[in-house]
Amino acid sequence: MIETLRFWVIVALLGLGVLFTFVSTVGVIRLPDVYSRAHTASQTDTLGAGFALAGVAVAFGWQHAAVYTVLLLFFVFITNPTAAHAISRSAAETGVAPVLAEEGEDGDETDRDAETDGESR
Amino acid sequence: MAVERLLVPLSDTVTVRQTVGYAVQSGLEAADSLECHLVVAMPYDADVPESDRYSDDAERLLSRAQNWVEEDAGGADVTIETTTLGADEYLFGPRDYAEIFDAYADEHGIDRVVLDPEYQPGVTAQLLQPLERELDRIGLAYDEAPVDRPARRGRLDGGAEGFDRLFATFLISYGFYLLLGDPTYWFDLVTGAAVAGIVAVSLAQVTFTVPLDRVQSPLRVVRFALYIPYLLWEIVKANIAVSLVILRPSMPIEPTLTRVNSRVRSGLPLTALANSITLTPGTLTVRANNQQLLVHTLIPGARDDLFDGGLERGIRFVFYGRKSAAIASPRERDDAEIVGGDEL
Repeated sequence: MIETLRFWVIVALLGLGVLFTFVSTVGVIRLPDVYSRAHTASQTDTLGAGFALAGVAVAFGWQHAAVYTVLLLFFVFITNPTAAHAISRSAAETGVAPVLAEEGEDGDETDRDAETDGESR
Repeated sequence: MAVERLLVPLSDTVTVRQTVGYAVQSGLEAADSLECHLVVAMPYDADVPESDRYSDDAERLLSRAQNWVEEDAGGADVTIETTTLGADEYLFGPRDYAEIFDAYADEHGIDRVVLDPEYQPGVTAQLLQPLERELDRIGLAYDEAPVDRPARRGRLDGGAEGFDRLFATFLISYGFYLLLGDPTYWFDLVTGAAVAGIVAVSLAQVTFTVPLDRVQSPLRVVRFALYIPYLLWEIVKANIAVSLVILRPSMPIEPTLTRVNSRVRSGLPLTALANSITLTPGTLTVRANNQQLLVHTLIPGARDDLFDGGLERGIRFVFYGRKSAAIASPRERDDAEIVGGDEL
């Protein structure tokens, strides 16, 4: 009984990991520029790798290898934003202009800000 | 009339005063007129956090050194040039330093470089020997100023603080070693202690950039452990929001560039904040200048979260405690704004 449950937990976790990796891939293809792609690329590292490694940890059970997977995730979480920042910063440095929402000009900034205030997240 | 041209790289050390003194004296011995080029090499390029502080320090050091030269020169014929080098590039190793000195020497017809034996331009690493090797290699004449050093490396015998650093480094590396190894096996315990000992002795001085505090530092680790679940929750939330937007056929994204003035100290806290912001999908730190973060946001929801400053409060909680965490959000204190693309 416990074994079947564990099996399905592993399948669910791996499935979620694959799902978020898939979403991230779709995002990289659909989004317009390097900055917005960097957002979605980090999804693979956070939840994609996160769920997949959680699945691995459950599969290993309570033993030393599970500790390694947690450590692995920790290092992924440290390196991912560093890499994303490096990419976007070098893009900014080489003068890649971001695709921004049209009304982003200086004039109506404050109005727009107020408009979006009430929006749900 | 012969002119001796000297290049004196400065850094804020205990022996810098004597180095300048030696440069003036030896220069005036070699020729009757001296041109003294005082330079500070900037270890960071101009738009790294804290670079403002570094350039302020450099300016101060240069003006101090200029006074010293005037003082030592007496009535002799001395021309002083001061400048900072490397402000537009990232100086990494001794080779980079040697090369910018060489370029400067070529440009100004420098005869000789006078080195401070304690020369230490970056943050922690000592550079003298490798720098001399590189100067040999490119064939730039140099001279090491003979100075009396007060007790070598004053920081090593820093008493309690030195011990704290050693102990903390030892504890961290021993803990990590045992995490990878088997804490119940005597062999791992012994080798781990040996390795951690070596690591602590050799790296304790460079590991921590701020002094440790016996109460606050461990507390920060505990609070950081509390922060992780909160961060994970934020990541999951943001991931779902961004995924929904991406998968929706109309893809209603609204990319904006925002500027947020954060209220955390530069260095580790700011790095932690910028990394947390990047780690949550939907917000991406493009630049970090001092406390000013330039953040690209993908969807309005993520931008609102950013302006509400949840992560900033979390970081303040980790580094300064619970009381400091309760501050107004960037939006309320008018520290967040949407900027155009030309801000990059």
